[in-house]
Amino acid sequence: MTDLVLVVEDSDEDIEAIARAIGRSHPEVRLEFLRSGNGVLPRLNDTGQARPGLVLLDLNMPGEGGLDVIRRVRADAVFEALRVVVFTSSENQAEAEACYAAGADSYIYKPINFALFQSVLAQTLDYWRSREPNVTQMVVPPPGESSAQA
Amino acid sequence: MTEWSAALHRLWSAAVVISSREQLAELVLPPLQELPGVRAVWGLRHAVQGDTVLAYRWKGLPLTGDLRDLVERLAPGEAGPARVIGAGDELREQGVTRVVAARFDQPGEAGGTILVALDDTGDAALVGRCLEQVIEVTHEAVRRLSEARVDQEQQVRDALLAEASLQMDAVLDTEQTMYRVPRMAVPAIAEGCLVFVYEDGKPVLRSAVHVDMRLLGRLLHDPDAVQSLAEPGEHALELRARGRVIGMLVFLFDRPAGRIPPPAFLRDLAARAALAIDNSTLYEQRRQEVARMQQHLLPTRLPRAGGLELAASYTVGDRVLEVGGDFYDVVVRDDGVVAAVIGDVCGRGVDAAALTGMARHTLTALLQEGLSPERALTRLNARLRLDGSWRFITAAVALLRPHDDGYAVQWTSAGHPAPVVMRGAGGASRGSGGGVPLGVLDSPQFGSSTLRLSRHDTLVMFTDGLTESRDGDGQMFEQDGLARALDRLGGVPVQTLVDELSTSAEASDDIALLALRVRAEP
Repeated sequence: MTDLVLVVEDSDEDIEAIARAIGRSHPEVRLEFLRSGNGVLPRLNDTGQARPGLVLLDLNMPGEGGLDVIRRVRADAVFEALRVVVFTSSENQAEAEACYAAGADSYIYKPINFALFQSVLAQTLDYWRSREPNVTQMVVPPPGESSAQA
Repeated sequence: MTEWSAALHRLWSAAVVISSREQLAELVLPPLQELPGVRAVWGLRHAVQGDTVLAYRWKGLPLTGDLRDLVERLAPGEAGPARVIGAGDELREQGVTRVVAARFDQPGEAGGTILVALDDTGDAALVGRCLEQVIEVTHEAVRRLSEARVDQEQQVRDALLAEASLQMDAVLDTEQTMYRVPRMAVPAIAEGCLVFVYEDGKPVLRSAVHVDMRLLGRLLHDPDAVQSLAEPGEHALELRARGRVIGMLVFLFDRPAGRIPPPAFLRDLAARAALAIDNSTLYEQRRQEVARMQQHLLPTRLPRAGGLELAASYTVGDRVLEVGGDFYDVVVRDDGVVAAVIGDVCGRGVDAAALTGMARHTLTALLQEGLSPERALTRLNARLRLDGSWRFITAAVALLRPHDDGYAVQWTSAGHPAPVVMRGAGGASRGSGGGVPLGVLDSPQFGSSTLRLSRHDTLVMFTDGLTESRDGDGQMFEQDGLARALDRLGGVPVQTLVDELSTSAEASDDIALLALRVRAEP
């Protein structure tokens, strides 16, 4: 399910860096980009398209901010399984707490160094993907059902 | 065999540039599956330690259910040349008569076994040779991936230490420092990170970050579980700074053992974190000491002065670690005359503080005894000259005598900024300053002027921290900001006036403010 990640980010540099980082660490993951928070709910509600398993969210964007996006996503039980990961360079602890209260799953530091940037994203994806059933990347496959690919 | 050579060539080209082990099975299994008489190709990925199989991959007969156990039993336990194994009944039912198998191991990495299931037409010797070549490619690809990963991990750790040091050094606030350590560590090197600091010998949780915020939320609701994490262990490191253990840095890992950073790195990070936390703690202690010392240098309360409302404030300049030299005080003589004193010892620190205390007490004691401002200031000047102090003091005394329905103010200044008079009816004007700071000349020179205060009028005395503070554009507050602030603050209570005035300016130096307002009714 998290083979599709929705990235909500307005900075060109960050969009490029995220695409490059995840493209290297998780080439099988498909990325879709939105430049503002306004488009998130319409995109998630669009039943004609595959639903992402994870949203990677910047907090400070024009239009609807990241915090509002989290609240709106969490207001709808349909998106309960959707992982919401806030990816921000902010060091504001109160902001982290507000994101948690709003229902974010992760509040991840956005590093300056690219190797670190890539590692942070890779570890975050690995963590949440390993928590889904039937994921081939799991370290130890769940007993019984196949985790293999043909 | 030309086809095989071409396939092997393609395999080499592709296998050495892959970026993830997940891509490997899709590359190495299909060429073997294309060989004549091959019913299936199975791949096993072994745990670094123990017999566990981490992943099953296949082409042809699916490697699922009971077949997994069977194939695992056939797999050779160690690396070596390809072996041909006769198939048992279960496999024969699937048309498999022999299995050719080979394994590779790479230190520190998950090893792998490839098994090729043949029907009775397959050429085991040929398949064995091809399998050995594929194993060689696979082994080389895994070795390169391993090298690349080790490089990448080292880069990440170097970058983390550099970035964490920058982040930690950027703040001197203990809370922020303790938050930044785990924030940087998660999830780059651990899934969770907690900071405990010893208080009265007990570890107290001061900061916690986890990649899964809700998991952390649940953990923090169980104090016993939290406390048990603070026990020293492989991933619970002492925070040791300047020879003392100040707390514990605890890492929570939820990743394969091979991805856990080496202990030396965790110790290095803990050592840097400890120093940053200790520095910020010392800094805060020092600031608190400075604030306490500053309070001792100022009157704990202003006296009651019949027909006047008094208010004062002291604002410590931006992030300074030394006691400032500004002072103020008010004394009320028996005859109802009020003497308000303000001054500023140049410089900061212990010496300046000692002089500040001496100057304030000297002036107020002499003024209380009935000495004129000139004589009190002259005595202080003589004292400074006698001590041979190189420090000088700007000071001013406002002597307020009841006059009509207000006060007559005698302003005596020794190089101090002129006061402001805010009229109750609106408008403000600046008095005159003048004189030479105390401690400079043997015979002091004063500036003298007289002001009149009517009901509701306010005399505002201040130090140059107010007028010389600069706004974001570099403009001095005195140029424009002071007049604007005074306009805005006409009519507000006198304590609000001093508080608002002091925060209107962006203080880089300390600001002392003293305001005296004539009451409506005496």
